[in-house]
Amino acid sequence: MTPELDRADRAAAVRAAARSWRRAGLVDDAALAAVESVYPDDRARAGPVFRVLLFLFTVVAVSGLFGFLAIGLGGHEQALATLAAVAGAALLALTELQLGTLRRRQGGTEAATSLLGIGQLLAAAAWLVLGPGHMAPAAGVPLLCALAAALTGAAAWRWGYPFYAALGTAAALVALAHLPAGRAVWIALALAAAPALLRLSESPRLPPAHRSSAMAMLLVALAGLYLAVHAVSWEERIVERIGGRDPGLAPPASTQGSLLWWSAMAATALVPILVLAAGLRRRRLPLLLAGTVAAVASLATFHHYLGLGPAWLVLTGAGALWIAAVLGLWRYLDSGPAGERGGFTAAPLLTDARRQAALEVGVAVLTLQPEARHAEGERPFEGGGGRSGGAGATGEF
Amino acid sequence: MNPDVVLAIPALVESGALPPAAAPRLLRIARGELVSVHAELRALLYAGVLLLMGGVGLLVRQNLDRIGPVAVATVLGLAAAAALAWVVRVTPPFSWQEVALPNLAFDYILLLGLLLVAADLAYCEVQLGLAESQRAWHLLLVAALAGLAAFRFDSRVAFSLSLTTFAAWRGVALVDAANARAWGAATPWQAWRWNAIACGILFAGLGLGLAHWRRKAHFEPVAVHLGCLLALAGIATGIDEPAWGAALLLAGAALAAVAYRHRRFPLFAYGVVAAYAGVTRLLAELSHEPALGCLWFAASSAAVIAGLLVAHRRMKEPA
Repeated sequence: MTPELDRADRAAAVRAAARSWRRAGLVDDAALAAVESVYPDDRARAGPVFRVLLFLFTVVAVSGLFGFLAIGLGGHEQALATLAAVAGAALLALTELQLGTLRRRQGGTEAATSLLGIGQLLAAAAWLVLGPGHMAPAAGVPLLCALAAALTGAAAWRWGYPFYAALGTAAALVALAHLPAGRAVWIALALAAAPALLRLSESPRLPPAHRSSAMAMLLVALAGLYLAVHAVSWEERIVERIGGRDPGLAPPASTQGSLLWWSAMAATALVPILVLAAGLRRRRLPLLLAGTVAAVASLATFHHYLGLGPAWLVLTGAGALWIAAVLGLWRYLDSGPAGERGGFTAAPLLTDARRQAALEVGVAVLTLQPEARHAEGERPFEGGGGRSGGAGATGEF
Repeated sequence: MNPDVVLAIPALVESGALPPAAAPRLLRIARGELVSVHAELRALLYAGVLLLMGGVGLLVRQNLDRIGPVAVATVLGLAAAAALAWVVRVTPPFSWQEVALPNLAFDYILLLGLLLVAADLAYCEVQLGLAESQRAWHLLLVAALAGLAAFRFDSRVAFSLSLTTFAAWRGVALVDAANARAWGAATPWQAWRWNAIACGILFAGLGLGLAHWRRKAHFEPVAVHLGCLLALAGIATGIDEPAWGAALLLAGAALAAVAYRHRRFPLFAYGVVAAYAGVTRLLAELSHEPALGCLWFAASSAAVIAGLLVAHRRMKEPA
């Protein structure tokens, strides 16, 4: 990442914080203006909606151009692979130009060209590695994954996109799954890297985008760890399947009730607890959310194996307990001195009301289901996707 | 935590940009010494309500014979009444303006109560042995109830439930061809489309009316967004025919123009995408040559990007 981009990102972080202070009424307009004059923006940025539109139309424009050239080449595989390689390199150069000389950031177009550039280069590499008469998939796929990890890792490092950091980590895990002891490598790597990544995600020496990238890598590594130790993953040999090996039957040692099986069950319970504990200790919301998701997955696993009761009872009980636990937590936080306990508060603090309202609109759209029960063969109306829109709407009782 | 902000705050206080009194609290937040879990608790409550309702749905379906219809209906009714009674007990006095929520759980307990009522009504409807075509009326009832609750308790969540359930009612009500013919449509599919468009216009009109008369004006975005999306989706479902392509182009362009004037960024986006889809559909009539199609996508998207950059400069959406 260039020093200019680093400075621009740090200034953007301060301006964003100042805007959240203003929204919360902690500072006035004059203070906000003063902060923005001390930390001016030297980049061409777009708001979130324009960013999405610019990203979308850049993808369409580039794909259209690529399609036109590909049709012109007449569908010859080698020529297409060469075109993809040249287009990929050109798109990466265009990204560099936008983020460098053109001083763009959060503008949508540069994210689109970087994504398409990486995609085109990987497509060319896939043809080179896996094309007719080239490498066998057993050797080619890990090589391709390693290449993807290197490419996205370099993009995350150079341009500071956390998404690429997450993607690169996932690609590296898939490549490592091809090793004979892939599962053990996943576990060892995650355990070894987690403390360092957590520290990096808080390091003032790193640019904000690299800190976010470290957190993204940590979350993917923890997901890998959870998958590697999970009881179902043991039984179904999921990591081995990802590694492209025929897993065959589960080893007898991992059958239900054995020591290995109980170890896997214990690990399935332990990982969410450790992630939640780390999140609480360091007060990091991404870890708390990841730990919560993993805890729900673990509870579902226990229900699957241990048969905690009929599904309706488990769901109703879990829902009621869940609501009670959240309300209890809220009351506990709210009743603390100054409405906080252990550095956590249930008060909104710097919550963006506009964003929250937009989220509510989004949820409303997602839950839209003007879906008619229709006669056989008739095409139903689907007005925006999603489910629900009035419980019991299906009339299937 | 945000190390850049931690470093910036003392410098901002020193330069006079930030009042010294505000600094300690802002520093605590920036250092991660004080973290708000407000949004997370709300999301978790929403998930809890969905989980509970999923269990209730299974309970009713799987245990109908064992428990008996009266017991199921009574339990659901009692649970709904308990949730709504709590809401009535803690609710602040009515106002046409936005009212601060009495507590974090308020919206979600209200939602739980409404969903339980909806499940109970749907269950009773089936138990009463109503004909298939009449089974949708509980949706209209739930939409009305949720709408009333939304206004009385100032709940955007209940308001969106009301709108989506109303749209569901229009979809479900036209379940058979007889109903569709009663609406003068040749096929149920066309009737559904017109219903979607009508619902969309109704919702958008409702939202604009609320904003105009300053009656729960903060509900306007929910209604207008849902309305626009529903209307555009309804038109888009007919895109197989060029006439509907033209309609999509006109509706999208009109929405984009109005949104541009009023700096409504998401609505502008819906309009631009719809208009682009409409014009692309119309041009597809001229040629089916793939190479020309690709060229069109490349050139037109480049033109749209240029237009968007100009529009962004004028609309000034905050980054």
